[in-house]
Amino acid sequence: MNVETRQRIENNLIVPVLAILSGLLLAAIFVAMTQRQPVEAYRTMFEAGFGCQAYERCNFFTTLQFATPMILTGLSAVVAFRSGLFSLGQEGQLLLGGLMAAWLGFAIHLPPIIHPTVAIVAAMIVGGVYGWFPGMLKVRLGVNEIISTIVLNNIAFLFVNYMINFPLRADASTTAATPRIDETARLMKFAPHTDWGLGFVMALIAAVLVYVYLWRSAPGYEQRMAGQSPLFARFGGIHNRRASVRGMFISGTLGGLAGAIEVLGVHGRMLQGFSSGLGFDGLTAAILGQVHPVGTVVVSIFFAGLRYGAQLGLQMPPMKIPRELGGGIIALMILFVAAPQLYRPLIARIDKWLHALGAERGSDATQESA
Amino acid sequence: MMLEGIGNAFTLDLVRSGIRLATPIILAALGGAICNRAGVLDLALEGKVLMGAFIAILATYYTHLGLSAVMANPGAFQGIAAALYPQRTVIGVIFAAIAGGLLGAVFAFLYLRYDVNLVILAIAINLFIAEMTVFFMRIFLGDVGSWSDPSIEQLPDIPIPGIDGLPVLGPILSGHNAIVYLSWLMSIVIYFILFHTKFGRHIRAVGENRQAAETVGINVARVQFFALVLAGMLAAVGGAFLSVGHLSLFTRNMSAGRGWIAVTAALFALNHPIGVLGAGLFFGFADAIAIRLQTTAGIAGSLVQFLPNVATLLALIIVAARSHVAEALARRMFRARAEREIAEATLPTAAQQPSSGD
Repeated sequence: MNVETRQRIENNLIVPVLAILSGLLLAAIFVAMTQRQPVEAYRTMFEAGFGCQAYERCNFFTTLQFATPMILTGLSAVVAFRSGLFSLGQEGQLLLGGLMAAWLGFAIHLPPIIHPTVAIVAAMIVGGVYGWFPGMLKVRLGVNEIISTIVLNNIAFLFVNYMINFPLRADASTTAATPRIDETARLMKFAPHTDWGLGFVMALIAAVLVYVYLWRSAPGYEQRMAGQSPLFARFGGIHNRRASVRGMFISGTLGGLAGAIEVLGVHGRMLQGFSSGLGFDGLTAAILGQVHPVGTVVVSIFFAGLRYGAQLGLQMPPMKIPRELGGGIIALMILFVAAPQLYRPLIARIDKWLHALGAERGSDATQESA
Repeated sequence: MMLEGIGNAFTLDLVRSGIRLATPIILAALGGAICNRAGVLDLALEGKVLMGAFIAILATYYTHLGLSAVMANPGAFQGIAAALYPQRTVIGVIFAAIAGGLLGAVFAFLYLRYDVNLVILAIAINLFIAEMTVFFMRIFLGDVGSWSDPSIEQLPDIPIPGIDGLPVLGPILSGHNAIVYLSWLMSIVIYFILFHTKFGRHIRAVGENRQAAETVGINVARVQFFALVLAGMLAAVGGAFLSVGHLSLFTRNMSAGRGWIAVTAALFALNHPIGVLGAGLFFGFADAIAIRLQTTAGIAGSLVQFLPNVATLLALIIVAARSHVAEALARRMFRARAEREIAEATLPTAAQQPSSGD
């Protein structure tokens, strides 16, 4: 690893790490309000969220299951942001993708492997179109994508609500839901008592593909340049509009995939209250993950562990701290990562310190080679 | 059945429920509109509404506890406490407004001082409030999903003297609580501020072109600070309507997306305060009709709710297309004029010869 790469990694790590620490520190006040020891509470939370007692009873597997949709909606945000569009449309893409997968899951009958493949591809296309539309409106007419994606989220939510309450409703139970999907359409699960399965592997593959696309391919380069510096890209002969719209389509397919995996791998059908803000969860993971696939995967697992740990560790006796603290801590971390200026003096000091360390190590190396 | 006449009790009920459902949306959307006018996109309305709902009921409850304690002990303050006690819900709403204003101030401070991205900030604040209201509900009020107390009274309905007796308008317009009237009043007040005062002109100037406004000496930071604080107060009062105006309880995620609807409503109204009143009522009535259709006829109520959302999307597209076309047209006209002027300047004789044109 050369000096430049190390420098870059350090720069990308300092702010998120400081934000995470600040979030935990500030949230300690809320822990203290419940008359519990913050250190004790955090240890319980992390043990519950990231611990693994046995293969049959492993909390961490469930954490990975919770992380799966977050990774995918996070990647969706990464691709959109890297095309210069601040898309908040992950929620809508996820809902429509999930609905499509659920419908194909029970309405058509196909052999295993083919069945989920068809459902997933269809869900990705639906999500892709739902991402493409605001992208197209942005580059053609200049419609603000933040606003149009919010309205499209509303529309998707109402549409899904309508579909599962009326045309696709399975029975007159209290919670509206579609019929269960065929067994052939379900995705494989890795361990008993959890819904952690093939979907997680797909999310990881998606992360690798997003990385390769954005940083190791010509279309991805075009898209990043169109996002970073539109004028430079235009001057270099890049079709900015096409590149941005392509980014939005890909972003949408990832959101649709997230919905399909939630249906085929976890719930087995589309039901009321399907997404409790999974779209925004992914968005926050992408932001703390420095809008990079690797960061997004790591942060998604971290966030999922915090939430699950808060639910399983904090809420239970002896702690009995409301599980909502997990989400509150995540919110504080996002707040801090959005304000890197708060840390400027601290970062300068760390930088200086790392620099001194690097120089020392560098001089060691030259001495050795001499 | 809706054509039978507006005096019909069924329709009257529908109209009144539409007005009630519209109130929090109107208040939050007014905040959103004034922020948009000042060039700051406020996506934290959802969180502010939810916080207002929570603070209002919490403050009402603690006011009840505090005043009861004072009233129990004979002393100088006993009389004051007894006089204030019937107004405890109003005090709760005032606390909600102050809390909303403070949140708006924090929001503005982080944005203006530290240049924090407003969208990310809003997402963080919405998440924080959604989670922490439940957290505090559990630790202050007990381990439950919704909370109420017999001591909590709804805001009283107030009949408007002149209008109350009128045959059709009376039952529709009169007999609401103070927050409903406030939502109407604020639409007019904000309209007046924006379009008939110097400060309003400054707000609009900042939103139209920040640099230009700065250049002519407008204090941009002050304008945006004002807009964000006012939006926080309005949205919080809208939230208070949910917990102590319309009902007398708090449930988790009580705002249920109304803040996002308010964002949409402000845009649908093109950020015009009077338009916001109309847009808010449009969304409110759509909700009321949707609920009614669901309970009486079993027809898909959510289809009705589509209407305002699709209308907003169309409005966004039309507004963008209009400015797009206007710009293209202006550019073409400019080019045509420039070409003509160049041609006249360089070839005065050629311009007169019809044969030279191609």
